[in-house]
Amino acid sequence: MLVFPGTNSEEETVRLLRAYAGEAELVHWSRARTLPAYDAYVIAGGFAYEDRIRAGAIAARDAMMEPVIDGAVRGKLVLGICNGAQILLEAGLVPGGSNGRPTAAFTRNAPNGHFICKQVSVKLAVDPQRSAITSSLAPGAVMPAWAAHAEGRLAARAADLAALVDGEHVAFVYARPDGVVDDGATPNGSALRCAGLVNREGNVLAVMPHPERIYPQHSPLFESFVRAVNAP
Amino acid sequence: MIDVALHADERQRIASALGREPTRVELYAFDAQWSEHCSYKSSRAQLRRLPVSGEDVVVGPGEDAGVLRLGEHDGEFYCVVVAHESHNHPSQVVPFEGAATGVGGIVRDVLCMGAQVVGIADALRFGDVSDPAGHPRHVARAVVDGISAYGNAIGVPNLAGDVHFHRGFDENCLVNVVALGIVKENEIVHSRAPAGSSGWPLLLVGKATDHSGFGGAAFSSLTLDGASEVGNRGAVQVPDPFLKSVLMRACYRVFALLRERGAVFACKDLGAGGIMGCSAEICAAGGYGASIDLDRVNVAQEGLPAEVIAVGETQERMLFVVAPEMLDDVLAVFNDEFSLPQIAYNARAVVIGAVTQEKRYVLVHRGERVMDVDIEVLTTPPEVPPPRYDPIAPATKTTPGDREALPQVTEALYRRYDSVVRGCTVLPRGYGDAGVVAPIPGSHLGVAIAVAGDPEIGSHDPRLAAEYAVLEAVRSVAAVGACPVGLTDCLNFGNPTKPEHYAQFVAAVDGLVRGAGKLNLPFVSGNVSLYNEGARGEAVPPSAIVACVGVLEDVRRVVTPGLKAAGALLVAIDDITELQRMMADDRVAACAVACSEGLVPAVARMAFASAREGRALGAELHDAAPDDGFVAFVVEIAAGEHHAGRVVGRVVAEPVVRSRDRREATADLYAAWSERLTELYA
Repeated sequence: MLVFPGTNSEEETVRLLRAYAGEAELVHWSRARTLPAYDAYVIAGGFAYEDRIRAGAIAARDAMMEPVIDGAVRGKLVLGICNGAQILLEAGLVPGGSNGRPTAAFTRNAPNGHFICKQVSVKLAVDPQRSAITSSLAPGAVMPAWAAHAEGRLAARAADLAALVDGEHVAFVYARPDGVVDDGATPNGSALRCAGLVNREGNVLAVMPHPERIYPQHSPLFESFVRAVNAP
Repeated sequence: MIDVALHADERQRIASALGREPTRVELYAFDAQWSEHCSYKSSRAQLRRLPVSGEDVVVGPGEDAGVLRLGEHDGEFYCVVVAHESHNHPSQVVPFEGAATGVGGIVRDVLCMGAQVVGIADALRFGDVSDPAGHPRHVARAVVDGISAYGNAIGVPNLAGDVHFHRGFDENCLVNVVALGIVKENEIVHSRAPAGSSGWPLLLVGKATDHSGFGGAAFSSLTLDGASEVGNRGAVQVPDPFLKSVLMRACYRVFALLRERGAVFACKDLGAGGIMGCSAEICAAGGYGASIDLDRVNVAQEGLPAEVIAVGETQERMLFVVAPEMLDDVLAVFNDEFSLPQIAYNARAVVIGAVTQEKRYVLVHRGERVMDVDIEVLTTPPEVPPPRYDPIAPATKTTPGDREALPQVTEALYRRYDSVVRGCTVLPRGYGDAGVVAPIPGSHLGVAIAVAGDPEIGSHDPRLAAEYAVLEAVRSVAAVGACPVGLTDCLNFGNPTKPEHYAQFVAAVDGLVRGAGKLNLPFVSGNVSLYNEGARGEAVPPSAIVACVGVLEDVRRVVTPGLKAAGALLVAIDDITELQRMMADDRVAACAVACSEGLVPAVARMAFASAREGRALGAELHDAAPDDGFVAFVVEIAAGEHHAGRVVGRVVAEPVVRSRDRREATADLYAAWSERLTELYA
């Protein structure tokens, strides 16, 4: 698990990974050179480099991300939550296929850019087998999570949004607790009601709301991720 | 002309103690250290009346934060650390930065006790916000922006708080903040140089010192008036929550490292009085002196005057006293592992001086001794005798007055605060009358926190308001199923040299003594903020703001306010012991504090919570339910269950609130009561 200057969700994230028998370690920015040795990467929530310019924009170009990008290209699993999701978008890892240029952003919430802290539900919007990370989830699984961000609204040009839909990149959408998907359940005006994006190959997943903040801690998504990492 | 807040007689006293006129640096140092803010010189005599001891108290008032016993987990004994402060004047003048640095300061007070910071709370008092172009409205918005920006960035959940609006705060808002931490009982760090530490290095850690926050302590000990506002902006500190986030984590690592090595050390945050205030207090508390070379301080710009380096209140700094053999490893954590110099310009850990056997406080700047005073004189300011005043007679009324304002739903405000970071939040802000965290991973032990203080009551009767603040904070904690264990207070009043303002302060202390005495609870930490008055010399409504800390043996038994089952009874309970007995027997399905608000708002909040918990239930109050509304708690219990209260209504299977003369859909009530805060904050 990568820790950038400003990451603030590292403890609860690593705790939950370990609860599902993940052998997880926090790798601090000053130990970035050890990153290539790991099998999979998690980028946790918080902030990175003060989120100057756009959330995740600086971190995406940090030396910390080189082994992650390199690993992702070679098929290692990568999960980003909240700021981690923003960083994955800024690094062009999701939706991918753009030579590292971002084609979408998680940007200022609608209507007025305020930070929002609210419990939401997210629904799996692709076939669970679309991504190794979601492969143990039930089809259409609905899970509680906490939206806690000021920049979580997916925005992209119309053509790029269409490509997200066509490529089945919208892995999670905001929903009501009973699974009904509508705008009322979307806390930030996100395009396509998108709460999470996956890359074409299915090994990189970016999720805006925090499943790890539900108390007591439990997350089918984290469980599925750890299972995929541990799979032979 | 040096602009200081010291009185003429205080300057004389300093000169006679020194046997000479103070140097420029000394004068600023005494100005900070002998300020009302640092010394409580006008309030100490009254504060001695507060109850401060009890079986759960590990550290009472006097250090940066109080410490209360929490419980045992895995053979270790854990404590809750709590601190409570105001940042009123800075927030009135530069609201975003003022409120943000208020959070920053209170977090450091808890951190320096060796604790992990696990929660914050805020109590906000704003003026009339109805004028779209008015300053009170700007203050009300920017304060929340500041708290949100800072608290969210450092990753500490905001668990509790309240907000009140009153014209009396138009020219002087109140921003009170509380922080909670967790520490093992045998790992508490004290802010005093340890025994045998003579010659040990004084290690300054954090942001490079700049010219911000110069004169902050003295500034908060003067009244605000329009003419000086511009000049005083320089006295407000500049927040850097991103550096703080890294600094906190680096401190956690250093605490762990020093504990592993079995090393003794001390730690204190830099607040009022900057390097001078912090180093003088930490060394004096251990019975030592200090010698500091200001040229070794990491600065953000060259050419800062000695007094600015010495007493300026640049944020995000801590001071450590560590054994010489630990120094290299501690420096490596801050400067290499957490790479502070790469996080913010010239941020770092650096040795600036040493603890000395001789009880002098010495500052050297460019080879010159710019300060050399008896450290005891510096750190023990004389008390100020109170003015002659007429005590305020106890009010004959024993219940709060009728209120015309609508109850408030504060969702639009608290949605702006991260309430769940750390993944330990059991009851987030707004989900119950108190916030609850389970701060020890793997343990079900919980900590509850609530704040209270009603300016409307305060403006009529400061004594009753203070007593109610205690009762309401305690009841809020009890309502979620926690056992109240300790209190903190922040006393926000006017000018102590004015007899009528001083009398309000004394009456409020009476009320605190009475409220805490009734419940047998100690005050373990607190703060006094005086000189809260506007240009016309009118004090803010007397505002004793109280926080209560509660302990839950098992957070799985937390009680929420949400109505649970149609047909259940709603019962008014006045006695906290009776409530606790009912909770112990699992007879309470839901609970809310009614207190000064009254019965209808209380049951409405229970219905709102029910909707949030996914049940469309409502409440019907009996015709005979008292409409003066004075009951302590409303609880839901199953019909037929034994209770010692008065039945006031029942739970109904539709989302409405029905009372004698009205019937309203809960959604409509929610919208109506949300209106003011939605318009301000959403």
